[in-house]
Amino acid sequence: MENKIKWETEMAAVIDKARSENKNILLDFFNPG
Amino acid sequence: MDAVTYPDARVVSFIDENMIPFRVLYDAEPLSKDFNIKWTPTIITLDSGGLEHHRSVGFLEPDALISTILLGIAKVFFDTNRFDDALINLEKILKDYPETNSAPEAIYMRGVSLYKNTDDPRELKEAYEKLRDKYPESEWAKKAYPYRLL
Repeated sequence: MENKIKWETEMAAVIDKARSENKNILLDFFNPG
Repeated sequence: MDAVTYPDARVVSFIDENMIPFRVLYDAEPLSKDFNIKWTPTIITLDSGGLEHHRSVGFLEPDALISTILLGIAKVFFDTNRFDDALINLEKILKDYPETNSAPEAIYMRGVSLYKNTDDPRELKEAYEKLRDKYPESEWAKKAYPYRLL
């Protein structure tokens, strides 16, 4: 297991990964400031 | 979230095991417009096709984030009529995270899921009674209030 969250950043890649791993998606809209 | 919640080992483990984590700047188009983002953090559970099922706005400490995600997973199952799978996730909230804001909604959703499975209105009444006893000030106790008559 990673010791930190490995965020995806591209929607198309996220959908592909979610479907292939049969998982739901946690979408976080954030403000780095 | 970056200082407290996301570095938490339990959060990292839970997300790694259960979700595809996807992070987007609050003003990055088209997604910020597609999801009508007005404040951060906004945390949304999507199914594997990208359809929204649950969202939370504002800071969440680790237990609250995990229970919010569990609620989102439960809603994905509920929205696709997989009530037994929804119940598994709702029971986890009630067993492991009863002090979080997701717990009252989990009781409500549990009652509705059981009713959907059985057509027994006593499940709805029981949900109201639990909410009345455990979370009387919650909005979910108010939403379940009519079920007292069943």
